[in-house]
Amino acid sequence: MLAVLKKELKTYFFTPIGYVFIGLFLEVSSIIFYRYTYYPGILNFSYVFFDSAVILTYIIAILTMNMFAGERKNGTDQLIMTSPKSITGIVLGKFLSAIVVVIATEIFSFVYLAIISHFGTPDLSTLGTTLIGFLLLTMAYISFGELASSITNQPIIAYIITFAFFFASMYITNLSDKFSMISFMGLYEKFVEGIIPVEETIALVTFTIMCIILTIIILQRRKNLK
Amino acid sequence: MIKVENVTKKYGSFTAVNNIKFDIKEGEIVGFLGKNGAGKTTTMNMITGYIEPTEGRIEIDGYDMNKKPKKAKKQIGYMPEAVPIYNDLTVKEFVDYMADLKGVKRKQKKEEVQRVIEETGLKEVQNTLNRHLSRGYKQRVSMAGALIGNPKVLILDEPTVGLDPQQVKQIRDLIKSLRKDHTVLLSSHILSEVSQICERVMIIDKGKILAIDTPKNLEDKVSDKNILTVTVEDNDNKIDEVVEKITDIKEIKLVNENSDGTKQYAIFAKDNKDIRKEIAENFAKNEITILELKKTEATLEDAFLQLINNYSIDEENNENEEEVIKEMKKKNEEDSIEEGGKN
Repeated sequence: MLAVLKKELKTYFFTPIGYVFIGLFLEVSSIIFYRYTYYPGILNFSYVFFDSAVILTYIIAILTMNMFAGERKNGTDQLIMTSPKSITGIVLGKFLSAIVVVIATEIFSFVYLAIISHFGTPDLSTLGTTLIGFLLLTMAYISFGELASSITNQPIIAYIITFAFFFASMYITNLSDKFSMISFMGLYEKFVEGIIPVEETIALVTFTIMCIILTIIILQRRKNLK
Repeated sequence: MIKVENVTKKYGSFTAVNNIKFDIKEGEIVGFLGKNGAGKTTTMNMITGYIEPTEGRIEIDGYDMNKKPKKAKKQIGYMPEAVPIYNDLTVKEFVDYMADLKGVKRKQKKEEVQRVIEETGLKEVQNTLNRHLSRGYKQRVSMAGALIGNPKVLILDEPTVGLDPQQVKQIRDLIKSLRKDHTVLLSSHILSEVSQICERVMIIDKGKILAIDTPKNLEDKVSDKNILTVTVEDNDNKIDEVVEKITDIKEIKLVNENSDGTKQYAIFAKDNKDIRKEIAENFAKNEITILELKKTEATLEDAFLQLINNYSIDEENNENEEEVIKEMKKKNEEDSIEEGGKN
């Protein structure tokens, strides 16, 4: 797992992928921060994270699309699948490497905290729960992106599947409020209110685990189908 | 070292590999020959654990690939046909990653990476990005990935394809030097390569193994057929009469009538007898001038072609003889085209 994690991180930061992701995310969240927090003079900046989670819908697949689809396209999956590493380790290694990139991005955005602290005492507990919620949401996003990447050998298709899924889940609440429990943004909303909701946490964690297990099963099954 | 027992691979109703069975001993270099689509790569992918066989068992150094995949895979270095390497990594980083994947211990890793880089002649490009390398270097990088961790078994899928002659020689020499402490299975469709490097050859066609033997034995089996090629000047057309008198001739067939009036025949002898002397004497007595008389020398290529054309060595029947004649005719045509080109 560590071998894969290390290599994936290298790939993220030796190629533009990691920088494109971090750059896009920070650009959008900075605009949001300026427009909705700094400009009106609000001390609670958890809404920056809430709104910037929307941008994740569009860009998370940048991190995940190449995970397996790219390897299959280049044939390098032969290298990892014939190595003595277990499929579970490979899947988790790739999953964690993307999480690390997102955490790095979060750390960058602490600059906003410093800016707010200059004007007054920020609401740290809300910020804490928002960050936890943000991390859980990212895990769900990444695990689904990884799953999408494992079912195709075209990274662009993996991107479209991932994007379409989260896009649909985000706007499905516009049809009816009943869908809010299956909307990822709906699940995330509670965290921004300063609490750690049990149901929502379980929902996100379960979804993540389910996607990871499905990815493992798909890769295992492919040995027979190929 | 590599034990393949009754392995079958099916894709839906299509059988890619059909009930194959072989055993490769420690320290052997075995060549795997077959046409494109014969099942070479599928077999290699199954041996390396990339895909699972539909039926059968594969054992590497005593470890069952299905039951103990980690231990079995650790014994194998695989160089896939498409030479997949990570373009975003440098040569050194790639080899380093392969070492991590193979589970090379951290203490030995630095040394091991350098050893492999030197062995494959990559020292001067070790800090170059893989994407900037030429095909020959990429091939070597892939080879380095297979060699890292000093695995007991090396599976090389067409290691020299797409290389220039000098690079081919370098890779061949490298493979030969591996003989000491590795068991090698390499696939190829360049026959001269296989007969040069390998101790044993496995011929596969349509998912079935047709023969496993040394290159020499395979060649001998084919030349045992004892076919003579005779070019004669026979203006009175006496050859049929003469041949009837020689009891050891099974059959004679006209291959070609040359423009200068000479004729080329293929003569099949009975029971593998050497009948060159008899022919020479009898033809001379009857004023048939022999311009050329030679025993058809078989190469590994012939063995290969005949095996995959379902040539049965034990039973010589007319159908097969016709095939041989067809081949001869084809060869003649090719020669005359070449000559025409020269003129």
